[in-house]
Amino acid sequence: MAQIRLVNVSKRWGSYVGVDNFNLDIADAEFLVLLGPSGCGKTTTMRMIAGLEDVTEGEIWIGDKIVNNLEPKDRDISMVFQSYGLYPNLSVYENIRFPLRVRGIPKAEHHERVMRAAAMVELGPFLERRPAALSGGQRQRVALARSIVREPNAFLMDEPLSNLDAKLRVSTRAQIKNLHHTLKRTTIYVTHDQIEAMTLADRVVVMNKGLVQQLGTPTEIYDRPANTFVASFIGSPAMNLIDGDVTDGIFRAEGMALPIPLGVSGPITLGFRAEDVQVVPQGGQLSATVYSMELLGDATLVSCRIGPALVSIRAAKDFRTQIGAPLHVAIPPSAVHVFDRSSGQRLSDNTGLPAQATSSKTGAA
Amino acid sequence: MTDIANRRPLALKTLTTVFLVIWLIAAAFPFVWTVWGSFKVEADFFSRQSWWMAIEGTRTQAQTGSAFTLQGYEGAWIKNEFWKAAINTMIVTLSVTIISLTIGTLGGYALARSGYRYAFWILIAALVFRAMPHITLVSGYMLPFFELNIWGVLPTTIIVLVAINQPFTLWMLHSFFLSIPKDLDESAMVDGCTRFQAFRMVIMPVMWPGVITTGLFSFLLGYNDFAVTSMLLSQQNQTMVPKIASFLGSIQNEGNVMFAVAAVVSATVPLFILVLFFQRQIVSGLTAGAVKG
Amino acid sequence: MPHRTFLVFIAPSILAMVLFITLPILSVIVQSLFVQHEAVLITVENCTPFGCEKETRVDHAAMQALREERPLGQFAGFANYLNRNHLAVDEIGAILSNNQGFGDTLSRIFNLPFYRALSFTLLYCFVVTPLAMALGFAVALAVNTLPRLMKGPVIFFSLLPMIITPLVGSLILSWMFNPSGILGASLQSLTGDPGLSLRASPIMTWIVLLVYGIWTNGPFSFVVFYAGLQTVPQDTMESARIDGANRWEVTRFVIIPHLAPLATFVALVQLMDNFRVFEPIVGFSAEANATSLSWLVFNDLVGQDAQLFGSAASTSVITIAGVLILLAPVLLRTWRDFNRKAA
Repeated sequence: MAQIRLVNVSKRWGSYVGVDNFNLDIADAEFLVLLGPSGCGKTTTMRMIAGLEDVTEGEIWIGDKIVNNLEPKDRDISMVFQSYGLYPNLSVYENIRFPLRVRGIPKAEHHERVMRAAAMVELGPFLERRPAALSGGQRQRVALARSIVREPNAFLMDEPLSNLDAKLRVSTRAQIKNLHHTLKRTTIYVTHDQIEAMTLADRVVVMNKGLVQQLGTPTEIYDRPANTFVASFIGSPAMNLIDGDVTDGIFRAEGMALPIPLGVSGPITLGFRAEDVQVVPQGGQLSATVYSMELLGDATLVSCRIGPALVSIRAAKDFRTQIGAPLHVAIPPSAVHVFDRSSGQRLSDNTGLPAQATSSKTGAA
Repeated sequence: MTDIANRRPLALKTLTTVFLVIWLIAAAFPFVWTVWGSFKVEADFFSRQSWWMAIEGTRTQAQTGSAFTLQGYEGAWIKNEFWKAAINTMIVTLSVTIISLTIGTLGGYALARSGYRYAFWILIAALVFRAMPHITLVSGYMLPFFELNIWGVLPTTIIVLVAINQPFTLWMLHSFFLSIPKDLDESAMVDGCTRFQAFRMVIMPVMWPGVITTGLFSFLLGYNDFAVTSMLLSQQNQTMVPKIASFLGSIQNEGNVMFAVAAVVSATVPLFILVLFFQRQIVSGLTAGAVKG
Repeated sequence: MPHRTFLVFIAPSILAMVLFITLPILSVIVQSLFVQHEAVLITVENCTPFGCEKETRVDHAAMQALREERPLGQFAGFANYLNRNHLAVDEIGAILSNNQGFGDTLSRIFNLPFYRALSFTLLYCFVVTPLAMALGFAVALAVNTLPRLMKGPVIFFSLLPMIITPLVGSLILSWMFNPSGILGASLQSLTGDPGLSLRASPIMTWIVLLVYGIWTNGPFSFVVFYAGLQTVPQDTMESARIDGANRWEVTRFVIIPHLAPLATFVALVQLMDNFRVFEPIVGFSAEANATSLSWLVFNDLVGQDAQLFGSAASTSVITIAGVLILLAPVLLRTWRDFNRKAA
């Protein structure tokens, strides 16, 4: 049983607020991802759960205990660090065995457990080497093996893939997902990479400047971003956001006119994703000149400028045009997301979603 | 250095070489000369006629029958009991090094890992203490030590040297600890260590280079000190450096300055050996403070 | 790290520093306010068959009792600071009110022991530090151009003047500069002046002490600058070359700015170390011509019959004040940086 509960948790250094009033319930065996740009408080949150950082205010529960004042070693968690934190003077085998040794687990069990953990991450041939003699990917797997050897209640992972090259990142991502499925332990995973968050998470917490922006499944966060920050953070390319004014139910910006059937008026921010709109030869709701064109292989990305915003549109893979040529884009009403201009909060509750996704409930804070 | 960009004009090359040769002579010749001269008699080493006599050892030949003599060493080590001073120096420097490192690693580690601002202020205070002239502190010790009746003995001197050395030790070890990633102690603590276990089992094994380097400097401080040892040790407990100084007062009159020369050479030899074996650590130690501080 | 753990780890170091650095500083301040007891004189009548004689002598028993009763001596307030051997307020006043021109004033002030020591200490500090740094920088540049195989031995020999015990190093040089030592004798024959002795004139003594200072301090700058040279960004050097800079301009615009922070560090450390210059004065037996603040303290403490604790302590306090003045710019800057960071 390892539910983890954070109740009104805050972290402050003097007047600087690292994490502000964080509330979260993590179910047993859930895979939760904390996502946000650097400095958003996600790592601090994880370090508070691990006991490496004091909690300024609030309570952290692991299982049925408040752990605020427990040492890291007494919290029954394990952690994979961004730079792995391997012990350079110990062999791979001794590195993996270390948690068993310092916790006084009977010596007779050590060998079998180390070998089992090593086998799970395919480290068999490297057990006698020192960390310095390993590649980045192998070191990463040693850190994983060390964290699973003890079979703790919860795994914490702090950007474990950020030091790997792109190719290795994809395969290790799959390995972590598979390990979680096998071990069925609560896992908290910190990353700034939205693709890792989307692929790994049961639920995602998007954070910015110490505040929770949105909590939900990857689909909810992608399809119904709670505010402009989440909208611009999730997706590749990020959601297009255009500032404009609504008068008489019509949204207008430079080169754009679009009916907004929401009953709002005044300044708003309008969003749509590149893949939800189509390039059309004539008409459409958006007209501009082509700013740039990029071939992605499976599609062509066309961009244009609307005021200060650079707007991307995903076109068919065989679409071709010239920089400076006129561009017409059709924006279906279901593709439109509407945000309040000053607060950035989502206004369009009933538009902008494919019909089948509206049923899932949102956990936005 | 064969690429075009780094090819240097001949004039510059010559200038550099000449400069370096002059510097090396200035740096090394005094030592070579004194070591050579320590095996001569005074009339040769301090020859009024020609320094060529010191090279050939004319008077030495005349007085002892050989071009080299051990008279100076014999006088210093045996007659004047320089061996006692050497033993005292060994006791003092080794104790200072060991005690400094023991309490310094603990303190330096705490300073490197605490994020609170008092750690910063302790380091600043240490910087100020580091700047205090040792002799001014000594003048603060003398009277209380007389009163407490602990003046003149080795343990007092050892503790005082440790304390005087501590600001520097703390700074240096602190900067070495900073270069060890925090991840390491944190993973140890998550893996089940207390703070002290993490320090002992995980951090210290990778700290050896820093400890050795800092130890070298503690050793040098204890070994080279004159202000503290000359004031706080009684005659019979003197270490080498104050002993050499006392030679100057008493022996020069007797015309046996060669005892002092031999003692000086004897005291220099361990330093040569130290530099020979630990050159890399000394260089890295001097720069560790500079590059990071 | 929690406060309690921190305290446990740092306690031994703090304890050592408080007991043997902070307390001695306080003790020095207290001692500086006292002077040693005046000799208790008694007159005894010695009567012999040829008559009686009165003799005045020091009553050792009474002195002993007095010392035991009040080991600090007599309370004297600031008298120690103001007397002839320290700030010499009265003497300075007399000199200023009655003198024969500027030169006379200077030479008479210079004859007061404290001002003599202070002027040499400051001269040593501010001449040796920049020259030793220049020497170190030049050696570092030169060594950097050597083939790799040569660097090790050259660095080894370059370290020797720094690593040597200060007293021993100054003795070695002093013997060479002795009129019958190799350098002293050579100088005499070169100048053709058999009376030329480095001990004879203050100027010569000062020059020799400064040469020793540069010789022994140069290697520290060398090592730090040499290490700094290894970290000069290659990209910047190469782009400077491509942009058309010559060797001198690369040194001027890339290397020196890169080493500037190191130079500040070296200057600070060397100023602190040179301010306590002391051993060379003993080693060169230069006290007749040059003294320093540290040497004054030393001299009071080794006094043959009575150690002048009060006098030594007041010189010490003035020296500590000097160190703090030297450090003030650094401390102020740190303070400002720290407050800016906190704000």
